[in-house]
Amino acid sequence: MVTVRLENVTKRFGKVVAVDNANLEIKDKEFMALLGPSGSGKSTLLYLIAGIYKPTQGRIYFDDMDVTELPPKERNIGLVFQNWALYPHMKVFDNIAFPLELKKESKEEIKKKVTEVAKMLKIDHLLERYPYQLSGGQQQRVAIARALVKEPGVLLLDEPLSNLDALLRMNVRAELKRLQKELGITAIYVTHDQAEALAMADKIAVIREGEILQVGTPDDVYAKPWCKFVGGFLGNPPMNFVESTVIRESGELLIGESRIPAPPKYAELLKKFDVSKVLLGFRPHDAEVIELKPNMPDPPMLVGEVFAAEPLGRETIVTVVLDDETYVKVFASKEQKFDVRDKVGIVLDLEKALLFDKKTELVLERAFEKKEFS
Amino acid sequence: MKKYSNLFQLSFFLTPALVIIIVFYLLPLVLTVYMSFTPIRNWNTERYLSQFIGSYNYYRIYHMVKYDPIFRQVMINTIIFVLITLIVNVFGGLLISLATYFINEKSSSTLRLVWLLPRMSPIAVYSLVWYYFFHGSEIGTLNSLLLKLGIIDKPIVLGQGVIPWGPWSIIVFINGLVGVSFGMIVFSSALSHIPRELVIAARVDGATNWSISRKILIPMIRWHILYVFTWQLLSLITSYAHTFLLIEWGLVNRDYGTTLSLYVFLTAFGRGEQDQGLAAAAATILAIIGTVLGFLTLKILKFERMIAKPRGDI
Repeated sequence: MVTVRLENVTKRFGKVVAVDNANLEIKDKEFMALLGPSGSGKSTLLYLIAGIYKPTQGRIYFDDMDVTELPPKERNIGLVFQNWALYPHMKVFDNIAFPLELKKESKEEIKKKVTEVAKMLKIDHLLERYPYQLSGGQQQRVAIARALVKEPGVLLLDEPLSNLDALLRMNVRAELKRLQKELGITAIYVTHDQAEALAMADKIAVIREGEILQVGTPDDVYAKPWCKFVGGFLGNPPMNFVESTVIRESGELLIGESRIPAPPKYAELLKKFDVSKVLLGFRPHDAEVIELKPNMPDPPMLVGEVFAAEPLGRETIVTVVLDDETYVKVFASKEQKFDVRDKVGIVLDLEKALLFDKKTELVLERAFEKKEFS
Repeated sequence: MKKYSNLFQLSFFLTPALVIIIVFYLLPLVLTVYMSFTPIRNWNTERYLSQFIGSYNYYRIYHMVKYDPIFRQVMINTIIFVLITLIVNVFGGLLISLATYFINEKSSSTLRLVWLLPRMSPIAVYSLVWYYFFHGSEIGTLNSLLLKLGIIDKPIVLGQGVIPWGPWSIIVFINGLVGVSFGMIVFSSALSHIPRELVIAARVDGATNWSISRKILIPMIRWHILYVFTWQLLSLITSYAHTFLLIEWGLVNRDYGTTLSLYVFLTAFGRGEQDQGLAAAAATILAIIGTVLGFLTLKILKFERMIAKPRGDI
């Protein structure tokens, strides 16, 4: 239906830069998540696309049409809010019918369309109720129905699930994803919840302080973060970061007392460029905790002490304090038993581990590319 | 024991308010009702206060309603004054608060401050300003303006000459201007509590300011509108200060400017023979009318629904 494109979009409120030179393309029928902590400018970006704010600089295109100067109503968008913004004095039917009434459509047409969209969202039995007579999940469906009833080209969602309780959120998440695919509508979804973004989106744009740090598929953004922030923001628990010193001669990393080989894909880079301090990043799933046994040859590993072990049912999160006082979290199988203060070793899957530049916090290959490293 | 201490607590907190209500409201009310059954005049309490004449004063009022053209005019004035000023107050306040809702914060608060000026200035000063504005000679601001613009050839004596709408429009204008600020404050504060998303959502759906006001904002502050309506109705029935000054200064015609509450005041405290017995009877009737009207508006506009417990979160 619609491809949305942002070109060098900047939005300032007085001196505050809410969105800083954003370039982004959301393809037709794509589900794009704008992910970031609160105050990162992700909602501002959404409101810029909606036309509620006008960019200070830059252009916004819907397909090939420049919509930068168009008011919201001429952009044919559906908008769903975090608090759903249902009109409390109107019944569900009137809430959903409101956009159509503004378009001055005929009574029969309105009735037909409202019933249709209500059936699709399974709220057709609630049409005669007032919003306060509905549960949170039902109110949320009404809000989505109101956004969809005018058949928008783009569906914009501003944290629509944050007001729901945890269990309901999981269900609605799946339903919303299914709905988006069935309708084949371009969707832009603002969230601060990384799990939501990973679960639902075709693509994720990670935003911090008004800047789009990385755009990619959930797999890409999860496995190959471009910077420490992205690695630390996605995943639960997030990526571990361990400060390490590069030993150039042997191509090894020194972490406290432990020595491990540098991840193989960095071997060349480390030889070519002169860096001494790096951050070693690895996901809690990409490592293994082993007991230290005397008179056994040590594989290359990080050595530490168990700080706590938290069984989650299927597996256990083990928090380990390394000898340089860094805390890391690693998943272990539930069969492994750990006590506090046990000496353990952490063996990394070096193929999946990443190195980040210590100063710029960029992943090393990008830091070299940009020639920004310490 | 517990009951006793509860009673003590209750009376501790209620006594100040009760004393004020009894001394300044209930006692005068009882005195007024009592006086309305005596022939008291010129404050000659020694001679008249112990004489009981039954409903004679009420009969006099009944007779005046039937035959006295001046008193009949007072009643017409009251109805016209209360109805039109009420509409001006409620709709004026609504209009200003809606208008300022849609413009930016800084200029809207300045605008609202300007509208508060009439309420902030002393009654005499405020009345004097409009006395000169509507003055029936060339020195009147309105007249001199119209003369300069060439719209009229000689000054219009609005308050005395153009009967009855001249004096009516002056008293409605002056009281309306003061009253607007009350509705404006209540409505503005109510509007500022409506979640901004509701307005944004409507705007995205293509709603104009007019349809946002009509379909979302006004329905959502309907309780506040009802409250202001009732409050202003009751205060207009009993207010006379501005009108009194304008009549005394000769700007507004006495016969076509006097309302019932002013009539009560003038009968009891005015120049010439003072007839407190008659005034008390009229005041009693005014109090009854006020009570009935207040009760009716609240009933008709379903006030009890407003103070009912909320049914779930909105």
